[in-house]
Amino acid sequence: MSTKPPRVWVSNATPQKGDLLRVRAQIEHVMESGLRSDEAGKIRPRNVVTRFEARLGPALLFAWEPGISVAQNPYVEFTFLARESGELQLHWKDDAGQTFSASKSISVA
Amino acid sequence: MLPHSIHPTRRTLMAAGAALALPAMAQQQSKAPLPNVLAPNPAELRKALADFTQGRKAQAEGLDLDVPMLADNPSGVPVKVKVMLPINAQDWCEEIIVLAELNPAPLACRLQFTAAAGTAEAAVRVRLTQSQTVHALARMKSGKLLAASQAVTVSASGCGM
Repeated sequence: MSTKPPRVWVSNATPQKGDLLRVRAQIEHVMESGLRSDEAGKIRPRNVVTRFEARLGPALLFAWEPGISVAQNPYVEFTFLARESGELQLHWKDDAGQTFSASKSISVA
Repeated sequence: MLPHSIHPTRRTLMAAGAALALPAMAQQQSKAPLPNVLAPNPAELRKALADFTQGRKAQAEGLDLDVPMLADNPSGVPVKVKVMLPINAQDWCEEIIVLAELNPAPLACRLQFTAAAGTAEAAVRVRLTQSQTVHALARMKSGKLLAASQAVTVSASGCGM
């Protein structure tokens, strides 16, 4: 459906230990609520992002479970404390089973 | 001067306009009314609240909810939540839920945090079907519940779903 890669911003990729890092991430997604109908009056099937996960290495930092009240092209911002270096992995999954992922490396000085 | 019958006066134009508009209105009324899919769902709201609080009382301090009082784009209203209590290895925020009380799906989203993050702050964008109050509820590891709410006025037609 959407071909553009997720947009990810990290406030600082090389933080000092204990710094607060802010992450903003957005994907292109229709977030079809299942309440709308097409020209023929048929309901468009629900297809929303149901889960987002952010991991630093194996450790889960943050998870998000949007419902149909979340806006199109879901945007999420979260923070965490820089404690160790690693690969920040972001992962989205929608009702249709489609997945999106992105990653950023974080190296703590 | 042209005779009255072919020169269109304001009165004849108004009459013609009314005649044109009437069939369209009649057609609209003859259609079966669509079920209002955007109606609020108070039962769902009560269930979401009860599931989260388990009947316990939430304290009004400690959770910061930032939503604009006037949302100029109801299909993308920025909502920011932040737990102001100290977060450490013993006590952290497990989960925050965001509720839009008059939306057809009141439970907008769940935000889950871990001790590894060391913070509990997140921002998302929600769509609101009408002016209403947005609530946020947080549950700490210790079992403490925090609540915050903010009334939002939706400008323009609030149909973002």
